[in-house]
Amino acid sequence: MTPASRIARALGWAIMLWGVGVPLPLSGDPPENSAPAVRVSSNVAWTPETIKQASNGDPFRGMLLARRCGHCHGSEGFSAEPFVPNLAGIDRLSIWKQLEDFRSGKRISPVMQPIVVPLSPRDIADVSAYFSLLPTFADPQDNRAFPQATTDFAKLRAAAQKLVGFGDGHRGIPPCQACHGPVAYVKGAPALSTQNGHYVLTQLQHFADGTRANDINMVMRTIARQLTAEELGALAEYYGAGRAADRHAESPGLPMQ
Amino acid sequence: MRQKLGFAISIAMVGCIILATRFYEVDLPVWHFFGGGTGIDPATLHLGGEFVESNLGTTRESDGSFTVRILAQQYVFVPQCVVVPSGVPVHFRVTSADQVHLLKISDTDFSLKAVPGAVSEVTTEFAKAGTFEAPCGEFCGAGHFAMRARLEVVSANEFTGMHADQRRSCDSR
Repeated sequence: MTPASRIARALGWAIMLWGVGVPLPLSGDPPENSAPAVRVSSNVAWTPETIKQASNGDPFRGMLLARRCGHCHGSEGFSAEPFVPNLAGIDRLSIWKQLEDFRSGKRISPVMQPIVVPLSPRDIADVSAYFSLLPTFADPQDNRAFPQATTDFAKLRAAAQKLVGFGDGHRGIPPCQACHGPVAYVKGAPALSTQNGHYVLTQLQHFADGTRANDINMVMRTIARQLTAEELGALAEYYGAGRAADRHAESPGLPMQ
Repeated sequence: MRQKLGFAISIAMVGCIILATRFYEVDLPVWHFFGGGTGIDPATLHLGGEFVESNLGTTRESDGSFTVRILAQQYVFVPQCVVVPSGVPVHFRVTSADQVHLLKISDTDFSLKAVPGAVSEVTTEFAKAGTFEAPCGEFCGAGHFAMRARLEVVSANEFTGMHADQRRSCDSR
């Protein structure tokens, strides 16, 4: 093989590899940075290392740690207080992200911050693993009363079902179920079908007015601020009633995810 | 020797075809491929760099030109409402945080693909004022059909008279 054809062949391979996206050791122009005052919504980024750390918790150790969570979130992950979120069956990445945001102060809560700050990253992963494994189907021994739907719920339900199922394309509001299930899930978006209605409402309101701003790339703030007050209430009723209906169903509901 | 040269040339031609496909598919200037693209990590866009949330929207660069930075993700464009001046060249820089999206602007021939890990850019000029819908033109998942941004083109005089926050985006209105 002559040197000329050797060079030609090497060049051909290099162009082909480069064309299909194999990174070659060539120098590139440095990325531009023209950022003014930088606001970081959350220190969590879904890199492979973060996902590995967040999803490899030990649920048994988490169960021991979670004894202090039960006072508010319920010993089975279902809260008796309407403004406290249910944690049973929520996927571990979502719980992990919120705990991490409480710890770094990106999500403000005077109750949660003193509890989470002393925890280690391993503790957070373990607690998330424990709550993600708690069942969400109905417990026949559970006779607690749940908040009843309001009288005009039928009208609200139609509006909520439209938003959950189809969104509103004219305003650019995607359907809730495209990220929060059951149609599809996105990393960090919790399932809402077993959530407290009151909690859903307050969080949507906080996203809308910017009080809560720990959503990565502003996705929930962009959506929530376009919803009217009636729609926020309808969505809260929808998800809250879904949970109550699920708890009182005779047959066990589907486990989350 | 002639056969080997022919082989090398054919390999190079195949490489050029793949490269051309990549170029037209991704809407990037070809020199961006030297050095493996712009090297933006789609998972860490919100932590720093050009596409942090406080830097999105329309900005006026120090040389007087206008740059619009839009972040596409499942299933919203951020900012969802963008204001640009008419009759002035406007530079668009778009990237994606997860899937491939496509920013189409209705009633124009404008479309710009948002690719995770790369910044697509184009300079364009809007002749007259108006409000344009900007739906996502590339199937990106379960909420694709409702993913839509809005573009408000205002006259250059009106644009310069706006408050700085209003110029950046019309999201909160």
